[in-house]
Amino acid sequence: MPDDALDPLIHVPTRLKIVATLAALPDGDTLSFTRLQDMIGLTPGNLIIHLRKLEEADYIASEKTRNGTVSITNVALTGHGRKALNNYTHALRDLLGDHL
Amino acid sequence: MNHTSDTAAGNGDTFSPQQAAALLDEATWEARRKLVPNPPWVLVTRGVLVLAACGAVWLSVRGQNPYTGPTNADIPILIAFIVLNAALAVGFRRRASAGVRGPSRLRPAEITIATLAWVAAAALLVALAAAGLSYRLYPTTVLIIPGLTWAILMMLRKNWRGVYSGASVAVVGALGLLANPAGAWLVAGVGLCAALSGGAALNAWYQRS
Repeated sequence: MPDDALDPLIHVPTRLKIVATLAALPDGDTLSFTRLQDMIGLTPGNLIIHLRKLEEADYIASEKTRNGTVSITNVALTGHGRKALNNYTHALRDLLGDHL
Repeated sequence: MNHTSDTAAGNGDTFSPQQAAALLDEATWEARRKLVPNPPWVLVTRGVLVLAACGAVWLSVRGQNPYTGPTNADIPILIAFIVLNAALAVGFRRRASAGVRGPSRLRPAEITIATLAWVAAAALLVALAAAGLSYRLYPTTVLIIPGLTWAILMMLRKNWRGVYSGASVAVVGALGLLANPAGAWLVAGVGLCAALSGGAALNAWYQRS
């Protein structure tokens, strides 16, 4: 199986870290932007760029809530995103065989 | 794909499948480690603390004849353990759940029920004492109601690791009834240490699975 069988949207180190991190959340849970930024170790601007790409592909969903006067953005992997990550993982496994 | 944006974001041009597999594994483990409310090392630490506290009480009371229960010197040890255990449990849970919203967070009603379970356990022991059955004779019975309550709350959430932790605490409480009053402290210490260590093993397995 050639490398280009890997989803190009996920097959980028930063976005792979993002989807893997969000996949660790229990079903139905969301993670705040600041917590995700802290866990991934990215600058806010860098993280926003990648989140936008993932959201455009419907891999993640984001919602804004308010805590008093503070606006909080929460993100989560969509069902489509989880399926995409599963497909990506299986494609990796097929490429690498027993090494995964 | 906008290659310029990815390059500008500093992700490089080559990313082999081997690197991807390693990164996926590491990122998954890191995320689970940071999101799990009870890291294995915290559970092991709490297990050591409970073994030390209950073991100290057992060493203090095992020679009592007749049995009168923990001495004045034991009480500060027990209080210190209770405070430290609660601080570790609550503190690490809060840290793990920071920024997380959704069904996995405990609802206020669940927290209230879990707290009331301890109040109910204490009230039951006071009632039994008033009926002439001193709680000093059955010190581990205080664990049964809170343990069962937690197991039921977690069962409703289909949180099987949580069911394990609640059920194991209740089982230790019940096993203490089989020992004499002094021996019940040893049962509590060893049993709760084993339960917490089992929980640590479960969490470690989950993080790596």
